[in-house]
Amino acid sequence: MSLKLLFAGIDEPGLRTIDVYRRRGGYEIAPRALEMPREALVEELKASGLRGRGGAGFSMGMKASFIPQGTMDKYLVCNADESEPGTFKDRELMFKNPHALIEGMIIGAYAAGANRAFVFIRGEYVEVADVLEAAVDEAKAAGVLGDLELWVHRGAGAYICGEETGLLDALEGKRGNPRLKPPFPANQGLYQGPTLINNVETLMTIPYILRMGASEYAKIGVENSTGTKVVSISGNVRRPGNYEIELGIPAREIIYGLAGGPPEGREVKLWFPGGSSSPVLTKDDLDIPYDFDSLAKARTMLGSGAIIVVDDSNSVVDVCLKLATFYRHESCGKCTPCREGTNWTVKMLERIHSGEATPMDLDIMASVQTRIIGNCLCVLGDAMAMPVSSMIEKFRPEFEAYMDEVRLGADAHAPLVPEGALA
Amino acid sequence: MPRPERRDITFTIDGREVTAPENTMLVDAAKLGDVEIPVFCYEPKLGNPVGACRMCLVEIEGIPKLQTGCSTPVKDGMVVHTQTDRVKEAQQGVVEFLLINHPLDCPVCDKGGECPLQDISFGWGAGTSRFIEPKRHFTKPLELSPVIAIDRERCIMCYRCVRFSQEISEDYQLVLLERGAHSYVGTFDGHPYVAPFSGNIVELCPVGALTSRPYRFRARPWDIEGAGSLCTLCPGQCNVHFTVRDDKVMRVLSRQNDGVDDGWLCDRGRFAYQAIHVDERITAPMVRDGGELREVSWERALDEAAGALRRARGSIRALAGGGATNEEAFLLEGLLASLDCTALESRPAGGPSPALAAALAHPSLQAAVPDIDYAHAVLVLDTELVDDMPILDLRVRKGVRRNGVKLAVATSRPSSLDPNAAAIARFAPGAAEAFVAALDAALLGDGSGASVDELAALAGTTAAEVGAVADLLKSAGGDEQAGDVVVVHGERATSGPRADHAAKALLNVAARLALAGREGAGLLEVPSSANGRGLREVGFAGGAELPDAPTAVYLLRTDPLRDAPDRSAWDRRLGRATTVIVHAAFLTEGVREHASVVFPAESYAEQDGTVTHPDGRIQRLRPAITLQGDNRYGWQILAELSRRLGHEAGAVLTAPQAWQRLTEALPAYAGITLDEIGGRGVRWPERNASAADEADLGPFALERPPAPLSPNGALRLGTYRTIWDAPEVEASPALRYVLGDGHVELSPVDARRLGIADGERVVVASGADSAEAVVALREAVRAGSAFVSGNALAGPGVEVRKA
Repeated sequence: MSLKLLFAGIDEPGLRTIDVYRRRGGYEIAPRALEMPREALVEELKASGLRGRGGAGFSMGMKASFIPQGTMDKYLVCNADESEPGTFKDRELMFKNPHALIEGMIIGAYAAGANRAFVFIRGEYVEVADVLEAAVDEAKAAGVLGDLELWVHRGAGAYICGEETGLLDALEGKRGNPRLKPPFPANQGLYQGPTLINNVETLMTIPYILRMGASEYAKIGVENSTGTKVVSISGNVRRPGNYEIELGIPAREIIYGLAGGPPEGREVKLWFPGGSSSPVLTKDDLDIPYDFDSLAKARTMLGSGAIIVVDDSNSVVDVCLKLATFYRHESCGKCTPCREGTNWTVKMLERIHSGEATPMDLDIMASVQTRIIGNCLCVLGDAMAMPVSSMIEKFRPEFEAYMDEVRLGADAHAPLVPEGALA
Repeated sequence: MPRPERRDITFTIDGREVTAPENTMLVDAAKLGDVEIPVFCYEPKLGNPVGACRMCLVEIEGIPKLQTGCSTPVKDGMVVHTQTDRVKEAQQGVVEFLLINHPLDCPVCDKGGECPLQDISFGWGAGTSRFIEPKRHFTKPLELSPVIAIDRERCIMCYRCVRFSQEISEDYQLVLLERGAHSYVGTFDGHPYVAPFSGNIVELCPVGALTSRPYRFRARPWDIEGAGSLCTLCPGQCNVHFTVRDDKVMRVLSRQNDGVDDGWLCDRGRFAYQAIHVDERITAPMVRDGGELREVSWERALDEAAGALRRARGSIRALAGGGATNEEAFLLEGLLASLDCTALESRPAGGPSPALAAALAHPSLQAAVPDIDYAHAVLVLDTELVDDMPILDLRVRKGVRRNGVKLAVATSRPSSLDPNAAAIARFAPGAAEAFVAALDAALLGDGSGASVDELAALAGTTAAEVGAVADLLKSAGGDEQAGDVVVVHGERATSGPRADHAAKALLNVAARLALAGREGAGLLEVPSSANGRGLREVGFAGGAELPDAPTAVYLLRTDPLRDAPDRSAWDRRLGRATTVIVHAAFLTEGVREHASVVFPAESYAEQDGTVTHPDGRIQRLRPAITLQGDNRYGWQILAELSRRLGHEAGAVLTAPQAWQRLTEALPAYAGITLDEIGGRGVRWPERNASAADEADLGPFALERPPAPLSPNGALRLGTYRTIWDAPEVEASPALRYVLGDGHVELSPVDARRLGIADGERVVVASGADSAEAVVALREAVRAGSAFVSGNALAGPGVEVRKA
């Protein structure tokens, strides 16, 4: 539990300068990696079992191996558009140790055969982007980038630009809308060129893997979920923040052990294991091992590794409405189920919230979610529909009680239809 | 880029085995098995699918999630289900989602009755809605442009119109604004969507969100009939459907023919139909009587014309243009031949000798329109396609965007295709011959003949620009191979007194690039009139001695005071002629001032006959409405004149009979029946290639082009015709908005020197002629040149001064 890779010594003063980073052994592994044959490097990444830390959890080495050979322009893109509610790990990682990301990108670009790389950082991370840009300048001046061209591009504040193809469109200067897949970015990504796109934490882990060796790294964690993960934990806990954990430890250890659990006298009502788009779990699920497969078995996901804890002082209706409103606001509007489905869901939840709904509306709402899930162009629609339907499924009695309470509580004898409304 | 090869595969859909070309999108392949998969956003004309509407979700065995049929290429052995509960649930879901914010105002919606949303809701929807919340509201309807109304509440966000604007016409004006459920189609800052192809979005819209303002509330789908024919307002000859109600044309829709138009129309073609039903149209014969044109009986007009022609025997000159059909030209040619007259022309500015013209259009050198899609390189020479043959502009953009065609543009006036071009050459107005000769020298590249530098200087350009175009053409096929090159050349490039020399230079370029006999490559001329090619092939080819002062002039659907660059010469010629017989639909200047006998020309919706596309495709015009007013068919008038003048061979009884006689007389058209032409046309260079005469395709020894006439310190004049320069446009109420003052395009350098600002009103003078114009500054105009629309000025130099 105390195993730290990315967080080891991260609070050392001046770490964001190249001198301190170098003193701690930085930029030593990159030149060595660049001497390896590309295939060997990709094999090493595969052997480490590293899975994407951004949300989808796809094998990083596999993704790199999909990049076609050839002389066309290829790109590496670092997805630093960390917008998933509850997720703030990349911010700390980049803010405190920007050179580790740059070193990871140098190696990642080599693995992809790319000589141009971009960091797409969310627009709200003004300070972090400043730090990162300063670090890139330093790295350039120190000549560690070699012939890699590296740009930091600031986003304009849209959740959808964290979706990889939406990000690529935005990076090309277009409206950030997701693209149809296939073609996948590995074949046709940025400017139609093969593109490897990875999350900050994924790329940042690469130097640590190479330093210790893939086989050593693969020993950390559990099968299919190797290594460590930085978990952002927020909500009703006593010590919110980022914690680096070894994958596979029980969730209870994170929520109670590291974050201190809910405040005095409260207990966990529900928790999102992997950002706001993961289906919720309840207090009965706290002993689930925190890794990709175990969470998938519990019909949820590890996602971006952001745990949001909601205690029993909150109403599930409020949580659900807040969540759906976020996704409605962030839906790009390109595909029908997401554009109309998120909007409809919010309107229904608003009626539930104001006491103008009946249990039949819950059925309709659940059915709307099933008509969204799996039918959208990208996963944003699913990102709302999955947690919403899990909340309806697991907390239906509370929804119903809430509706009765609000409707009857205001005026127990008020007619459902105001007088005169039908005249 | 090579054309894709077709390979058939077999897949299974809803239990039946279907054979389809590999990689066809599933929604198209399904149709081959009589299975319909509903779509909204999918439209193959628009290029790659976007998968936005999610209407076409289907189940494919082996893939856990439902897949969009519009974006899934069909593979061998694929097993597809479109009727499972899962698919039905998803389809009903999408219909329900689309309708929750749709106003369902079908009874008052123009689209009602021909609306994909209605059809799909009926066929694939659940029939009920569970949505009880308030719908989204917008102000409506709004004018998106003077010809298009937008009703945003009806919009289902299929992206078709936006994709058209962004990826087909590339005017980049339509965008999706806002996000999510608030998103709507609009333009930057609410500017009107004014573009030459804007009307296509009305036809693309699968709901009633975009409607044609001229058509709004004029008819319901059950009131109308569709009539397939052609638009002959320009040489593009796009295939159209006329929407007819009560014998009136109400609307023009595209009738997709990939060999001609790809299913698009320009706004002139789409909206200028209004000129068919306006009061200004001439609908009865007229004769000049006491200096005034007066309506007279057909008998009187025909007698007058026949008498005048008889008296003018041996001294008649005829000019044909506009939408004159092959039959009309054939009958007129025969009639005049019987009167010992062979001075027939169809190029208002004169052209090369018939032998050279035939060489340029020889089947072995003839490119077809679809060749542009997959050529390695396209050279656009001395023509602005969007004005001269608009539909080809979209074709070139498509080739460049989708298939990586390398484009070279060589014009005097900056072209709207410049941003798509890999090489651009600008030569002085009127110096096409010198430019082509320079290109020839650069392609030859062995230093023999005149040097590239010298010829480029004569053309008013640089050897570097000529070299860039030559390099692009020479190596477009890769490995230093020329590959398939299509040269799209404007009639202007081979016109005027030195047309023969220009034609020879152009044939030399074709020879250097080895275009003769090459599949998918060749020359394609953009004539100045809609049926320019047909008219020439039927006999209006110039060639014979053209009398400068004929006794009689016969103008078949053309007014040289409008169409000929040499306006003043024609003004004199018509003024001196004893008789001017005209077939015209409108009293344009030349008709008003000079005509002695005016026969009303029926509109293209009334015409019966054939025309020949610039690439040799013979197409058929079929009457969509009956003759309006007291009109008669053009062929009928000419047959009647033939009868009166004792030329029995021309006294045909029907248009098909005229076609029959034409095919007997002209080997190129031999044996082609109207049935064979059908709705898609027949390309005679493919069908009757061997019928073409042997032609000398060069290479020729070129004469040194003359030094360009000096404008004597003034600006060098270039003229152009905009897409809107047509009497039909002026007569169409919907298109009034495009009319305005003529423009003079200047380079900012000259404007600064002259102290003239953009948008300023100026006088442009050349010799004794002058015209008022509004200044349009264009960065891309070369200093020293001025471009004026229309033919009011003749040049070579012009002075521009403040009005």
